[in-house]
Amino acid sequence: MTPDFSPPPAAPQTVLLVDDEPVARLSMSARLKRLGYRVLEAGDGKTGLALLRQERPDLTIVDWMMPEIDGPSLCELVRRDPLLQSSQILLMTGHDQPQQIAEGLARGADDFLSKSASKQEITARVQAGMRAASLVRSLERARDDIQHKQELLERELQSAADYVRSLLPPQGAILPGATVVHAFRPSLGLGGDLFNIVEWGDAAMGLYLLDASGHGVSSALRSASLSTFLRRDSLRHQVGSNDPGAILTEANRCFPMTEDGGYFTIVFTRLDARTRTVTYASAGHGGALLQRADGHILALSQPALPLGFCPDTRYESRVEPLAAGDRLLLFSDGLYEAPGPTKELWGLERLRAAVQRLRPLELERIPEALLDEALEWLGHDLFPDDVAIVAVEVKG
Amino acid sequence: MPDSVCDFDESLARVDHDVEIFHCMAKLFLDQGPKDLAAIHAALTLRDPAALTRSAHRLKGAVLQFCAPSVFQATRDLEALGKSGRVEEAAQAYGALKAEMDRLLEALRRRLAEGESS
Repeated sequence: MTPDFSPPPAAPQTVLLVDDEPVARLSMSARLKRLGYRVLEAGDGKTGLALLRQERPDLTIVDWMMPEIDGPSLCELVRRDPLLQSSQILLMTGHDQPQQIAEGLARGADDFLSKSASKQEITARVQAGMRAASLVRSLERARDDIQHKQELLERELQSAADYVRSLLPPQGAILPGATVVHAFRPSLGLGGDLFNIVEWGDAAMGLYLLDASGHGVSSALRSASLSTFLRRDSLRHQVGSNDPGAILTEANRCFPMTEDGGYFTIVFTRLDARTRTVTYASAGHGGALLQRADGHILALSQPALPLGFCPDTRYESRVEPLAAGDRLLLFSDGLYEAPGPTKELWGLERLRAAVQRLRPLELERIPEALLDEALEWLGHDLFPDDVAIVAVEVKG
Repeated sequence: MPDSVCDFDESLARVDHDVEIFHCMAKLFLDQGPKDLAAIHAALTLRDPAALTRSAHRLKGAVLQFCAPSVFQATRDLEALGKSGRVEEAAQAYGALKAEMDRLLEALRRRLAEGESS
């Protein structure tokens, strides 16, 4: 016996015939069945609409003149229904005046079929309607497929954002005499922002904020990878120092630019309770401010390449004294590069002004207050990039 | 062979010479046609042009299947008179429709009887 490799026969396409006149309906139904279609019949517009919803036929042929819901009214109801609006409708009529054809098309019909049409014309118009229906169905399938993939991607991004959140430090007192608060708003596309604390005993702690270039899961994973490198034990083994410049120099060597151009910006600070100093180094990161107790603001920046650009780069540390009431503020560029309605960025100057204005607030309220200021500039509540804010206040 | 009131050959061709379907249609029309005719008469009695238009249109759709030009024309005239609200003229035209319908119904009965005896 020869195996049969021919594809299984496709299910017949379905035509819904809506006509209150039974003799004409029987005649048309017989013709359509002979053409190989599955035929559903309705004797009025209301039943036709119910069958449309229930069976989603490929093509619907509707008589123009019917009691209660006539053909054009049925077309209008279909076009207003989001689930039915892509249905293909042939309006069947004895009216073949241009004005009436225009009215039928304007009210939602896709094509016309004269009641006195020859069998060749009926066949041709039904086949044309079926071709259009197949095209619409394939577009709908493609749209549903894209929507499904988008949902999967968003779930993955949400899961990655949850993972990034799980890596963040707790809020509150970390060092004797220093309190840390923070805010993190991952964008819909998930950027690569991450910040954390490195605990070096009772007297010192490291605090960093990094940003992996690009968006999506791969950026988040690269950030997590650098964050693992920046753990206390890892730094002890791989760097052997808690000097921010030495740490960034080694990180730059270990994390070269990826094949598709991926790199990091980072600011790394070390707060020392004994010497009451902050030591910092940055690699292409502009968002670090030191606000003195009297409100004066100092930018903790230095011209240096981001990590990964050049393997021989040496990053130098700088030191600033700390006093009670001083605040250290680290931000990701998603905050100060928030675009306003005219695409103008919020900018570091406006950020500095906001920090100045908000100085009287308790430290705990600073991150959310800064987010509110940036959101007001943005004009809506979805940042296009991740936003991270970390604030530390030195107590007396 | 063309009948004097309708063309059965053409009518059969419309259903791809499916005699069974044709007989079904004829039986359906023998039942439904007189009801539609009565509905036209009732609309004329009530002087209701909208009802006249609807019932004449419905009968016209059925008659079209039997390729009966004189009956088709009579229903078409009545539909047009109904649309333009000329019920008095329609009452006069109704006589012609009734006579042609009687001929068509008789021709269909004869055809069905022939079909059943063959």
